Amino acid sequence: MNNSRRKFLQYGFLSSSVFLFDGCNLFGITTPYATIKVLQNDLVPQAELLDINTIGYMHLVFKHTRISRENKDFLKNGVKWLNEESIQTYNKTYIKLTQYQRENLLKVVAKTSWGESFLYDIMSYTFEAMLGDPIYGGNNKQAGWKWLEFQGGLPHPKKVYV
Amino acid sequence: MYDICIVGSGAGGAPVAYELSRAGYKVVVLEKGEYYTEEDFNKDELAVCRRDMFTPPLWEQKHIINEYEEGEYKRYDGAEYNWNFWNGSLVGGSSNLMSGYFHRMKPQDFRLLSTYGEIKGANVVDWPIVYDDLEPYYDKVEKVIGVSGRVVDHKFQESRSSKDFPYPELKTNGATKWFDKACEELGFRSIPTPRAILSQNSLDREGCYYSNFCGSYGCASGAKGSARAALLQKCNAQVITDAFVYRLESDGTKVTKLYYKTKHNIPHIVKAKIFVLAAQAIETSRLLLNSKDEYFPNGLANTNKQVGKNLIFSAGGVGSGRFVFEKLSKSQQKELMEVGVFFNRSLQDWYEYKEEKQHFKGGTIDFLFEHQNIIPRVNEEIYNDKGELTWGKELMKRIEKRVTTSRVLTFEVFNDWLPTDKCFVSVDKKEKDKYGVPVGVINLYGHKQDLQVGEFLAKKAVKVLDKMGAVEIDYSISSSPPPNLVAGGCRFGDDPNTSVLDKNCKTHELENLYVTDASFMPTGGSVPYTWTIYANSFRVADIIKEELKNETDISS
Repeated sequence: MNNSRRKFLQYGFLSSSVFLFDGCNLFGITTPYATIKVLQNDLVPQAELLDINTIGYMHLVFKHTRISRENKDFLKNGVKWLNEESIQTYNKTYIKLTQYQRENLLKVVAKTSWGESFLYDIMSYTFEAMLGDPIYGGNNKQAGWKWLEFQGGLPHPKKVYV
Repeated sequence: MYDICIVGSGAGGAPVAYELSRAGYKVVVLEKGEYYTEEDFNKDELAVCRRDMFTPPLWEQKHIINEYEEGEYKRYDGAEYNWNFWNGSLVGGSSNLMSGYFHRMKPQDFRLLSTYGEIKGANVVDWPIVYDDLEPYYDKVEKVIGVSGRVVDHKFQESRSSKDFPYPELKTNGATKWFDKACEELGFRSIPTPRAILSQNSLDREGCYYSNFCGSYGCASGAKGSARAALLQKCNAQVITDAFVYRLESDGTKVTKLYYKTKHNIPHIVKAKIFVLAAQAIETSRLLLNSKDEYFPNGLANTNKQVGKNLIFSAGGVGSGRFVFEKLSKSQQKELMEVGVFFNRSLQDWYEYKEEKQHFKGGTIDFLFEHQNIIPRVNEEIYNDKGELTWGKELMKRIEKRVTTSRVLTFEVFNDWLPTDKCFVSVDKKEKDKYGVPVGVINLYGHKQDLQVGEFLAKKAVKVLDKMGAVEIDYSISSSPPPNLVAGGCRFGDDPNTSVLDKNCKTHELENLYVTDASFMPTGGSVPYTWTIYANSFRVADIIKEELKNETDISS
């Protein structure tokens, strides 16, 4: 097994299969990892510019003992629903859409109750990755803080809280 | 057998532990949470504020909330609605996490009924003690816990036995001058807010290092006057952590045994001569109500069915205004963005006021910068000013501009949450926590006068923000309860039929059971409670000391 494959499997929940249906037929399979990675960049493009490891942080989110099972399930369902909306509209999964198509889809989804909450949650966790203490692995050399001229508080944590 | 067993290690319990252990008595303090010290505290926003590391997960321990609306209660499951009433399960309790805005109650707060008369629909009473009884203990708190500030004359300045605070005021942001000037022009009296924070090294603790992250966070220098840093770390009271007290047992006249469990559900029994409850207002009532025995079928000390009644919070609300670079000079921009130092300004000009010939008890307005936590400041930009969800480059631009070229000044209004029959604590018949113990039910109702007074005060605060040149000025006064400003449930009083505790905070029905958290308060005053809780607990500590001394004198 090569390193990237091993790393991918370490993501556990993020690398689990999400079965996608086109109405009632199985259309395909995706993973939260693939969809969330693209979605984070669409929603919070600054993260990629600052080289923030947002998807790595999502791994912490999924294994965090203080984030409820319901919240984690909602994220996973959001991935499924976003993709199913994508399949119904464009006959493709979210990550296979063009940037223009993804933007249009997000505009539609944001007007639904689940979609609004899902997109908000993804953005909120992405900002946590960018602006949390660098010890969590997202806020690369305090790049997120520097972007907003923000001084993190002292002392910094010596270990992550998961 | 201990001399004293105290349930809860926060501002209500720790003064008793400190005083009695220093007087040579054998004291044990039971705390549900863990023991963190200055070494452990840091400014990890994700852990402390996003993942609530100092409070229990709601799916393990929750409350049921019944909110009174249009003639009936609507039931909310705290876990389902993420409605959290925990304030800090750790040694020292929520005093570790407070901002430490310290105001004394004023003489009229002890005499609400006699001063302002009856209010329809509210159970307003006078306290069985007066301001002068508590004044020496307010003074003691200034010196032992450590309060910094500067006394200024104003029309509602309460009498003081010490001329000034023992510690000079903390450093303030340059924008504070704008506030003082605006107040002067408006004819308002700007008051430096006293803080339970040491402005210099003292009391074997380090002074404030202006970390910029105070409220909600534990203090890494010990400057904040938490019950742990100021008291428990300085006495030899035994502190047992991971101890959830779920029941007391009596012989009809005395508490004989206390039962607690660890997180692994291992039960323990504690015996003591005197028991003191200080688990914070809601949990203290819950413990008494859950402690039923053959002598007290309604719950301990509850023959008159007063336990849990007259629960109060601090009424009022919050507001804010934004200062934007476009309206400021370069030097003002620099002053505004200076971080670490405090704003620390209050107004008490309307602690009482007249409106339409009616005399009202008013309150306090504290001004402070928006909390420095960066994630909520960014998240609040996700919605644009039309209330639409936004993302992508548009959102990135807005965040950058708002965070780097503007700053929000907020205010908090504190006025009386009038005690009523509809606001009380009970226990649920079905829902249990992870220990298998019935959860507390918070029955909520806010009296309409609370809102009227809150509105009056908020409009005064808005005038100041407007005068200062703020934009986007807004406020919200509501009956939604601030979970960290809770009191009542075991009110003290001279009449055993209408109160749970006597004026010494001992239960009328059990001769060795005291309550020293904010539960004792029949009305709350128009200030944050912590200073009064500390002061009263020091007062009760003296009473218990005297009682134990008399007992020793008699037996010898």
